[in-house]
Amino acid sequence: MFAWTPERKRTLRITLVTLAVVLAFGAWFGWYKFFRVVEPPPFASADERFLYGSVGGEESAGIPYWIVYVLPRVFPDKLPGPNGWASFGFSWQEGKELPIGFTKKTIGFERVGNNCAGCHVARYRLSPDGPPTFVPTGPNHTFNLEAFFRFLVDCAQDPRFNAGTLMNEINLAADLSWIDRMIYRFVLIPFTGKQLRDRGPQFAWIYKHGLPEWPDWGRGRDDAMNLTKYFLTKLPLDDTLGPTDMPSIWNIKKYKTNPGTRLNFAGDSVDANSVIIDSALGVIGAPPSNNQTFLEQVEWLTKYLEGYPAPKFPVDPDPAKAAAGKPVFDAHCARCHASARTGTVVPVEEVGTDRERIKSWNKGAAIVANRIVKSFGIDRPGLVEDDPKGYVAAFLDGIWLRAPYLHNGSVPSLRDLLNPVAKRPRLFYRGYDVYDVVDVGFVSQEHQAERMRIPWADVKAAATPYDVSWRSNGNIGHEYGVDLSPGEKDALVEYLKTL
Amino acid sequence: MNRPMDRGWRWRFWTLLTIVVGVPILIGILLAVRFLPDRPVTYANIEDHFKYGSTGGERNAGFPLFLWKALPVVFADKLPQNGATGYRAFGMIYEKDEHGQDRELPVGVMRRRHVGLDRVFVNCAVCHSTTVREAPDKRQKVYVATGASHFDLGRLEKFFTDVVVDERFTASVLVPAADRESGGRLGLLDRYVIYPVAIALMRERLLMLRDRFVPLQTETWGPGRVDTWNSAKTGVNFVIGRLPEHERRGAVDFPSIWNQRKRKHRDDGQPMQLHWVGNNVEVNERNLSAAFGTGATPATVDHAAIERLQEWLLDAVPPPFPWPVDTARAARGAKVYGQHCARCHGKSGQDFSGAYVGHVTPLTEVGTDPYHYYSYTYDLAANQNVLYAGTPYRFTHFRKTDGYANMPLDGIWLRAPYLHNGSVPTLRELLEPPASRRPRFYRGYDVFDPVRVGFVSDVPEENGRTFALYDTSEPTRSNAGHLYGVDLPAADKDAIVEYLKTF
Repeated sequence: MFAWTPERKRTLRITLVTLAVVLAFGAWFGWYKFFRVVEPPPFASADERFLYGSVGGEESAGIPYWIVYVLPRVFPDKLPGPNGWASFGFSWQEGKELPIGFTKKTIGFERVGNNCAGCHVARYRLSPDGPPTFVPTGPNHTFNLEAFFRFLVDCAQDPRFNAGTLMNEINLAADLSWIDRMIYRFVLIPFTGKQLRDRGPQFAWIYKHGLPEWPDWGRGRDDAMNLTKYFLTKLPLDDTLGPTDMPSIWNIKKYKTNPGTRLNFAGDSVDANSVIIDSALGVIGAPPSNNQTFLEQVEWLTKYLEGYPAPKFPVDPDPAKAAAGKPVFDAHCARCHASARTGTVVPVEEVGTDRERIKSWNKGAAIVANRIVKSFGIDRPGLVEDDPKGYVAAFLDGIWLRAPYLHNGSVPSLRDLLNPVAKRPRLFYRGYDVYDVVDVGFVSQEHQAERMRIPWADVKAAATPYDVSWRSNGNIGHEYGVDLSPGEKDALVEYLKTL
Repeated sequence: MNRPMDRGWRWRFWTLLTIVVGVPILIGILLAVRFLPDRPVTYANIEDHFKYGSTGGERNAGFPLFLWKALPVVFADKLPQNGATGYRAFGMIYEKDEHGQDRELPVGVMRRRHVGLDRVFVNCAVCHSTTVREAPDKRQKVYVATGASHFDLGRLEKFFTDVVVDERFTASVLVPAADRESGGRLGLLDRYVIYPVAIALMRERLLMLRDRFVPLQTETWGPGRVDTWNSAKTGVNFVIGRLPEHERRGAVDFPSIWNQRKRKHRDDGQPMQLHWVGNNVEVNERNLSAAFGTGATPATVDHAAIERLQEWLLDAVPPPFPWPVDTARAARGAKVYGQHCARCHGKSGQDFSGAYVGHVTPLTEVGTDPYHYYSYTYDLAANQNVLYAGTPYRFTHFRKTDGYANMPLDGIWLRAPYLHNGSVPTLRELLEPPASRRPRFYRGYDVFDPVRVGFVSDVPEENGRTFALYDTSEPTRSNAGHLYGVDLPAADKDAIVEYLKTF
């Protein structure tokens, strides 16, 4: 018969204590290596915080640092260009470890996430020999977001995405401890691969190829409402496609001081705070792990963006000519762009621009999206629960840096926009960062490169082609001011430089 | 239970224990002694350390010693066919040991006991040592910390990436060849385990390098030159074939690396812009960046060994001009030099002051060959920011510039041929307009011309050893630009050259 003799009790006690110690150590070890949050040191400036500060995306969407590090080295064939991570057109400040818009945070292990700055920092140069100037809150017209998404999924689906291959490359670059190497080999690499592969089906629409029906977004654009539809609301794929320019997000207090104004190109939202929440949720790709810290960061972002001024044109405009342009502007543009109508939706029948973007969003999706964000415990005015009917008449602050123009970026320069549709360029290249102060836009056509003595091959290598005959790329509509005399157009463009 | 074991059981217990525990421990100790040591060959003398000492790169890239020696024997047909044998065909230098015999390894090859065998690989000295003869019948003198003007790194790389795809690159051919090189001293373990495994690993590594290096067309560099930044691009695995045509090649001369401390200051108080394109102001980053070429990666670099070299290079000085200098003419030359050269190149070989020394002159102004400038891109600078990530050594100072850096001229006599791409054979010719500079000359011959100052460059062949033709009409090799002083009277030019001999 079994009996609890003192010896047995003692043995049991020792066993239990040992087990508890082992478990406690295991738990501590697991917490330390996978969940321990190290708060990063405070940023030196508000701009630094915007550029590299976390919005909380590392926890669910963060990729282990050393995997991010070696991906372009293991899969150079899958990059959109020859230059490693720089091929995607990220803006990279001199001396910085990560491109603008990338965050690094230790949650157990170092993870790399993204933030708003990835799409919302503009860069420009005035000549190919100078270093770039970075403008926080400006549109990142060089960034190929779609290629970036595809790259991550493609790498994960490739047979080379395995612990052996990745560890070989990691070991060339880093001297990891034995434990960390084991963690990478047996946990992080397989897990990251699976996580990225699982995202594949939701990205199915960016894999639809075939012109003219399914063009690439190209540099500087994203299919924002479809991203929301397929990732936040998880609605089934439909056949819409509505890539638009990355917008500038400076000076957003204008939406507050002008009640009744709408945000997003098609006016899908009424409130800047809501747009920031929805965009940040898109970056995180999951419900926030902590609503309070999330909303605090959103609050900080809102304040930062409200006060951030639109950038000045990099060369002083000719004051006399600009003054002559003012009356032209008042006569032909102000009705929509400097009036009570500014910031409100103009029916698409009236403005006549490409319709694909408004087809990519609808009342049903807005209702579902609002419900889901509410279910996260986040209270916000939210998306307009109605089908979009047109495009917002834009505020023109800092319009010079928002090239190419129209919601889909179908017109490369302000000068081109003042031409009738038939005379606007039908094929040009987006994403090269040298700015043309004459045409007011980035160098995107051969005649500009020639005039500025830039090898055309360099422009093409850094940019993606944009053909206005491809779906959603139409450069129709907005034929205002096209009948002005050349002198008037000159003056008007000069005036627009001062905005 | 407490009954003592009898004698027989005790004996059996100890025997069993010895077999089960003792023998494995003993084997373990033997294996550890054989495989664990990580021991570089070290030298007390700093110049020897520079020539033969370790940077840590052998841990990553090191060839087994006897295989290193066997390769040019087995693959003699793949060496440059220039009349020289072994690694001499690449312009590598063999010094004599104390018995007057050739040393086992040439200058610039380091050695370390690692994972159970002696591994060797090139170190800094392979690209930064050269030889000079005062006359064809005089002895070679070895100089260190200068550019390796006769060493053909590109062909050496080509050789290694060629042999790896040859059908003879197998253990069955190479192990016996290595054994012969060792004088038949390879043990059983070496012959049947270590060398075959090492050959397999080497093949894997060389095949990877082959993929990355072949598009560089390293065989087009020629002696004394390296395509610095395209090599750096392969290190982060940029796809060379997809780069715009003009960014794909940019070979330049190996530079001198002495007097690094003085390069930390220029007239405006900032450090000088280093490298031909002036893309970095940090000496330490410059050195670690160059050390990648010796196989020293963040995981394998031997910081202590490199710091010892760095410390020495801070104050290492160039050798004096070995021939007499006409002091009166040099004094006159100092004046002309002061008017026409000093602002960009410093007052003298010791005094680097000058408003533009260590600054970059825009390409449009200096007008020299543009390819090297094109080859260094903003995107590469961005990617270099992640090198040495996770360590205190991470690179943060690489920048894209708009031209070429103005260098101090310390030891300039030994830094021939001139301009960043080595396109002008002598100092005297550099003072002539490009049309009067030699359009074609030979590199690799080490007899020196003390009058025009530079290596004798019109000798295509000596005792069956042929030298490499440098044709300035080929890409990366233009001798255009740098038109400073070309309009001076001939006597002034002679005087400047005389003054430069004192640098």
